[in-house]
Amino acid sequence: MIDTIFIGLSLASILLLVALGLSITYGALGVINMAHGEMVMIGAYVTVLAHIYLGVNLFFAIPLAFVVAAALGWLIERLVVRRLYGRLLDTLLATWGVAILIQQAVRLDLGLTFFGVNLAGLGPGLQNVQVPAVLQGSVSLLGVNLNVYRLFIILVTLIATVATWYLMYRTSIGTQVRAIMRNPKMAAACGINVKRVNALTFAYGSGLAGIAGVMMSGFKTVFPEMGTPYVVDGFLVVVAGGVGSLVGLIASSGLLGQINGVFAALTNDILARAVMFGTVILIIILRPQGLFSFRGR
Amino acid sequence: MSDADLNAAANVGTAPVEKAPPSATATRIKTWLEYAGYAGFILVILVLPFFFDEFTLNRFAKYLVYGMLGVAIALSWGYAGILNLGQGLFFGAGAYMIAMSLKLESRTSLAQGSDTPVPDFMLWNAEPGAPTELCCINPASFLWLPFQATWFGVLMGIVLPVVIAGIVGLTIFKKRVSGVYISIITLALVLLVRLVVIDAQPVTNGFNGLTDLAYLTVFGFEFDPYLKETYYLVAILLSLVLVGARLLVSTRAGLILQAIRDDQNRVRYLGFDVPVYQTVFFAISAAIAGLAGMLYVIVAEFASPTFMDLAFSITMVVWAAVGGRASLLGACIGAILINTIEASVSETQSLVQAWQVFIGLLFVGVVLFLPRGLAGLSSDIVDFVLRLFNRRRPAEPRPAGEAMRPPVAAE
Repeated sequence: MIDTIFIGLSLASILLLVALGLSITYGALGVINMAHGEMVMIGAYVTVLAHIYLGVNLFFAIPLAFVVAAALGWLIERLVVRRLYGRLLDTLLATWGVAILIQQAVRLDLGLTFFGVNLAGLGPGLQNVQVPAVLQGSVSLLGVNLNVYRLFIILVTLIATVATWYLMYRTSIGTQVRAIMRNPKMAAACGINVKRVNALTFAYGSGLAGIAGVMMSGFKTVFPEMGTPYVVDGFLVVVAGGVGSLVGLIASSGLLGQINGVFAALTNDILARAVMFGTVILIIILRPQGLFSFRGR
Repeated sequence: MSDADLNAAANVGTAPVEKAPPSATATRIKTWLEYAGYAGFILVILVLPFFFDEFTLNRFAKYLVYGMLGVAIALSWGYAGILNLGQGLFFGAGAYMIAMSLKLESRTSLAQGSDTPVPDFMLWNAEPGAPTELCCINPASFLWLPFQATWFGVLMGIVLPVVIAGIVGLTIFKKRVSGVYISIITLALVLLVRLVVIDAQPVTNGFNGLTDLAYLTVFGFEFDPYLKETYYLVAILLSLVLVGARLLVSTRAGLILQAIRDDQNRVRYLGFDVPVYQTVFFAISAAIAGLAGMLYVIVAEFASPTFMDLAFSITMVVWAAVGGRASLLGACIGAILINTIEASVSETQSLVQAWQVFIGLLFVGVVLFLPRGLAGLSSDIVDFVLRLFNRRRPAEPRPAGEAMRPPVAAE
């Protein structure tokens, strides 16, 4: 029983970690970023490459992945997303194209395969990440064995969530983001540099996905297409939770994670995911504004 | 950004910039050009068999099927403003329905040591000692029983998509779910069904899908995929769908549908039953996708859960976007064009990868620079030529009603 709840909690924390960044880009900017899953993938590859070329372990990859993914996100915002604000479904299609480009960049060793050069750690194959010894094994708590790595993911998610909350609700830049969320034109009229804040917001959301990627690399195989399922799951969590609501996000990822965990224990992983999708459809039909609605103007 | 903004933005691409109204002659010329486009396209696909061998025609038949999907997307996205990211669900439903019938007809199903046909994969996974009859070889195999009649599979290939679309449509449109939420529901739905199909391995053969199918036989004629007749079957059905859809959108119901796309609430206040119109067109689009799925099975001889992959459903939307989301013919041609090019470059391995890069760039480029797609581009070119032509001549006298209109329509 406690096992199942712990597994559900761990699944929920993964969902939350992926959805956190999406919720910011979707909620604040009105952008459906289908390339978010590729940011997760980039984060995972940063872990792989950091190990091969820098010889550092997963802990050091976390800040590195954040920076790399954020920089890439910033670039995408400048080149593509910036021209599409207010055209929600077009952002979906364009970022799907961006996602394909990023996948191909990894698969083709950044284009070097055309010149016969292959970089270790890139390419179409599978990669694996060695988890530091500290995070291996399990600890016993109240007579239940808890996987240390899963505990670590929950911890990282907790830190990322608190940091995001602090950033959004206790800093000046967060106030500006929330002002833009409510009304971009009014925010601009009040002297907020909307373009700059938008770019930073997008970069931060992408950076969070990069961190999620590092976490994924610890217990999943790393390959170029790994990101796609995450963006779907993450997006469903965001919509079910209520756009722009941090509480809703936590609630919906908790709910969906537990549903996933319980049904996976009862039946199998495939059906558990199907039930999760079904739950999201029901939530959207019954409460299109999400579990916790954020009241727009 | 408020929900209202999001929904408004979600409805349909970019609002075209309102220019001075074109003269009556220009409008007439453009209408004729559009008809000529339809006629020319149908003519081209009907004369192709005179120039290519059966193998090439089989490949073209596949692209025409994709073209039909383009029509389905343009109908629901361009004309109804419903971006269905789960069109693969209807395509897959059509495909599986006919494939079940064709599977039962195939020689291997008849040779499983039973008087009645049994799909081979059911025997591979059967419990030891289970009766080798379709009724009871596994708990859900009885679902296959009616598919022993081919007409049932063919009928269900249309009926099932329509029924699903009807139920889903009525539910979401009555609840006034709109814009991006429709896309998310349809997306979640197709992924859900895909997982269920994969999980129901004893009945659907899971990941492997249905292969080793018989040819569709109608009145004693076998539609071998490598026959000209099979190509004609696809080409003629595509022509009918294209013309039918074009006629449909200019009927009264089609005009009301476009009004709903542009301003749902106003149409509601005028007393029209908005959800019914939306559901009917959603179902028609589903029926076209189901038909496309069936034709695909006839041409490609398999049905698989990959039809319900997220990537496939989004790719279809991009074909339509490249061709022109608001043009039935444009979306159709866009789908055919992209697939033809893709197939011709996929001969060499390194080009396949480079092609993927190109596709990615195309997605981004079309959305950024050509939101109305190729159809919009050609319409702009025609406008440009007409304007050049007009400048050389003295301005034609406009009809009285035309002159009364203000030069810039108020928003």
